[in-house]
Amino acid sequence: MGVLRLVLRMSPVLALLAIWYIATSLGMIKPFLLPAPQTVAMRLWRDIATGQFALNAGLTMYRALMGFAIACLIGVPAGMLIASDRTVRWFCEPLISVGFPMPKIAFLPVFMLWFGVYDLSKIVMVSFAAIFTVVAAAEAGTRGVDRVLLWSARSMGASRAAVFWDVILPAAMPQFLTGIQIALPVSLITAVAAEMLMGGAGLGGAMLAAGNYADSPGVFAGIVETSLVGLLAVGGMTQLRRRLLRWHPEFNPR
Amino acid sequence: MNDGVGIEIERVTHGYTPKRGRPMVALDDISLSIPAHEFHALLGPSGCGKSTLLFLIGGFQKIQQGRIHTAHGDVCAPGPDRGIVFQNFALFPWKTVIENVRYGLEKKGIKGSEAEQTAKHFIDLVHLNGFERSYPAQLSGGMQQRAAIARTLAIDPDILLMDEPFGALDAQTRRIMQEELLAIWRATRKTVVFVTHDVAEAVYLADTISVMSARPGRIKRLVHASFNRSEDTAVFKSPEFTDMVEHVWDMVRDEVDEARRQGH
Amino acid sequence: MTAARIDRIIAGMIGYLPLVILALIWEATTRLGLVSPRMLPRFSDVLGAFLDLLQSGELLTNAIASLRRALIGFAIAVCTGTTLGAGMALVPWIRAALDPIVQIFYPLPKSALIPLVLVWFGLGDTSKTFLVFLGCLLPMILSTYNGMRGVDPLLAWSARSLGASRFDVVREIMLPAALPQILTGLRTTIAFMFLLMVSSELVIATNGLGYMIGAFGDQGSYPAMFATILVVTALGFAADRAFLALTDHLLRWRA
Repeated sequence: MGVLRLVLRMSPVLALLAIWYIATSLGMIKPFLLPAPQTVAMRLWRDIATGQFALNAGLTMYRALMGFAIACLIGVPAGMLIASDRTVRWFCEPLISVGFPMPKIAFLPVFMLWFGVYDLSKIVMVSFAAIFTVVAAAEAGTRGVDRVLLWSARSMGASRAAVFWDVILPAAMPQFLTGIQIALPVSLITAVAAEMLMGGAGLGGAMLAAGNYADSPGVFAGIVETSLVGLLAVGGMTQLRRRLLRWHPEFNPR
Repeated sequence: MNDGVGIEIERVTHGYTPKRGRPMVALDDISLSIPAHEFHALLGPSGCGKSTLLFLIGGFQKIQQGRIHTAHGDVCAPGPDRGIVFQNFALFPWKTVIENVRYGLEKKGIKGSEAEQTAKHFIDLVHLNGFERSYPAQLSGGMQQRAAIARTLAIDPDILLMDEPFGALDAQTRRIMQEELLAIWRATRKTVVFVTHDVAEAVYLADTISVMSARPGRIKRLVHASFNRSEDTAVFKSPEFTDMVEHVWDMVRDEVDEARRQGH
Repeated sequence: MTAARIDRIIAGMIGYLPLVILALIWEATTRLGLVSPRMLPRFSDVLGAFLDLLQSGELLTNAIASLRRALIGFAIAVCTGTTLGAGMALVPWIRAALDPIVQIFYPLPKSALIPLVLVWFGLGDTSKTFLVFLGCLLPMILSTYNGMRGVDPLLAWSARSLGASRFDVVREIMLPAALPQILTGLRTTIAFMFLLMVSSELVIATNGLGYMIGAFGDQGSYPAMFATILVVTALGFAADRAFLALTDHLLRWRA
C-alpha cells in the first residue's frame, strides 16, 4: 500500500522520465542537447563503480560542510553578541546590511589571491558566503526571546550563565536553525561554483570539464550527483531540526 | 423576507475524519426551525459542533446529509443574504476600516459616494467614527469587532450569523458590545444565530436558546426567554434573569462534564 | 528642508560611519605597509581604478550587459513562479503534478546548472538569462505556494459571504494576504539573481561585471578587480534597500 501510494505520488516524475525517454529514443532531440536517460544512468553507474563519484562528492561535501561549520561556529556567537551589545551592534549592523544581499561569490578571485587555489580558499569562500545569513538569524533570534521568559528564569534564581544556556539558547534555537538551514544550501551552491571556477577535483570541477568538452552525459550525470549531495545535506538538516526542536509546536500539531 | 420561518434546518447530520483517527460525528440528525427576526443562541461546550452548524447555515461547508432552507431557497454556497461575524474578526488587514466596510457594498454594485455614505452610516452605528482610515492592526480587539460587524451589517443581510463574536474580547468590552448588539438587533430586526459557550451571554441576548449536547452534537433542549427583555440593563440583577441562568447552566453542566471526559 | 529631515539624514550618515571606518582601516594598513600591495591594493588606488573604469565607459557597458540578462531571467521567473505557485495552492491537480517535481529539484545546488546552460546555449546572453530564470523559479513557486496555503480561510469565507466570487477571492483576498510571504521570497530570489549572475559570468562569459572581476584577477589588475567587486556589492545593497522600501510601502497596513 505504501509503495503504491509513493509510486502514485511520484507519477509526475515518472511521466517526466517517460517523456524524456521517448523524446530521445525517437530522435526528436539531439543527444548532445539531451542525452537519453539510460546513457546518463550508465554514466552515473560508471562514476559510482570507478569511485569517481565518491571522490568528487566527498571533496565537495568536505569543502561545503567545513566552510558551513566554520560559518556556524563563528556566526552564531557573533550574532548573539551583536544582539546583546549596543556598541558591537552599531559597528556591525551596517556591515551586515551590506554583506547580506551582496553576491559573495564576487570575492572568489580575492580569496584565490590570498589563499591560493586549493582547499583553503574554497573553504574560506564557503564560510564567507554562508556567515551573513547565520549572523543575521542568530541576532534576530536572540533579540526575539520573550523577556518574560528571561524574567521568570531570573526570578527562579538562575545565574546569567544558566539563563544563557537554559533559556536564550533553546528559545532562540528555531531562528538559529532557520538561518543555518538557509546557509547550508548556500554553502553547497558556493562550493560547486568555486570548484567550477578553479577547476580540479570535486563535483563542480568535473561538471565544468564535461561542459567544456561538450560531454553532455557527463554534465547530466553531474547534475544528478550534485542533486544527491544536496538531498543528503537538506535531509540531514531537516532531521537535525526535528531532533533539536522536539518540544516546539512545529512538530507537535494539535 | 417577511414573517414566518427564517431558517429551517432539516435532519442535518455532519461528520469528518481527522488526519489521524476515526471518523467523528459532529452533528447528529439536527432539526431546528428558527423564526424570522428571532435572536437565536446556539449554546454548548466546546467541540459540540455549534460552530459547524453555523458554518453549514453560512454555506461555507458542504452539507453532507439533510437540508437547510432560508427565504432564498436551499443553502448551497455563501451569499450576502447571510452575513457572518467571526470570533477573530477576519477583517482584511490590508484595507482600512472604511475600505473593509465598502468591500461588500462594491460587490453589490454600489460605488462612489453612495458606497461612501452607506459605509459611513454603519461605521457611525458601531461608534467607530474617526477611525475610518485606520488599518485593523491599529485598532483594539473591540474596535476591530465593531468594524467587522459594520462590514457585515452594511450589506443588509436577512440573517446575521455570529460565531462567538465577543469571545476574544475582555469582560468590560464584551458587556458593552452585547448591549450595543441588542440595540442594533432591535433597530434592524434581523434573524440572528449566535454561537456562544457563555450561559449568561446567551440568556441575556437570545429569544431562544438551543442547548447542544457534547459529541455527537444534538440539540438537547430549546429554552425560551422567560423574563421581560426590556432595554434596561438592570436585567442582569433581576431574579428572573439569575434564575434562568442557573436553570440553563444546570443543563449545560452535564454536557461540559461529558465533553471533558471526551478530552476537550 | 526641515530641521527634522536634516536630523534624519545626519542620523543615517552616522549609521553608516562603520563603513567609513572600515575603509580608513583598509587605507591605513596598506599605507603603513602592514599588508603587501600585491595582496591588497590601497583603497585610494581602488577608488582611482573605479574612476578610470567609469570614465572609459567600460563599467557602464558591462553593468548594463549583466543587469539586462539577469533582470530578464528574473522577471520571467517571477511571473511564471507566482502563477505556478498560485496554481499549486488553488488547484489540487496542479499541486499533485508539480509538487513531486518541485521536491526533486529543490535540493539541487543551482550553480550545478551552469554547465547545462553552457551546453545548451553556449557563451551568449541566453545561457545566463536561462540560468537566472531556472535558479529563481523554484524559490518563487515555493514562496507563493506557501504564502497562499497559509491564508486564513476565514478571510476567504468573509469575502464570499460579502458577495465576492471565487475569482474575486483569489485576486482580492488570497493574493494580498499572501503578499508578505511572497515578498520575503522575492527578497531571497533577488539575492539568488545576483549570485547566479556573477557566478555564471565568472565561469562562462565574454562580458559583464563577473567577467570583468575574473579577467582583472587573471591580468593581475587588482585595483580594478576590487573596484568592480565593490560596484557589484553596491548594486546588491542598493537593490536590497530599494526592495525593503517597496515592501514597507506595500505592507504599510501591518502594525
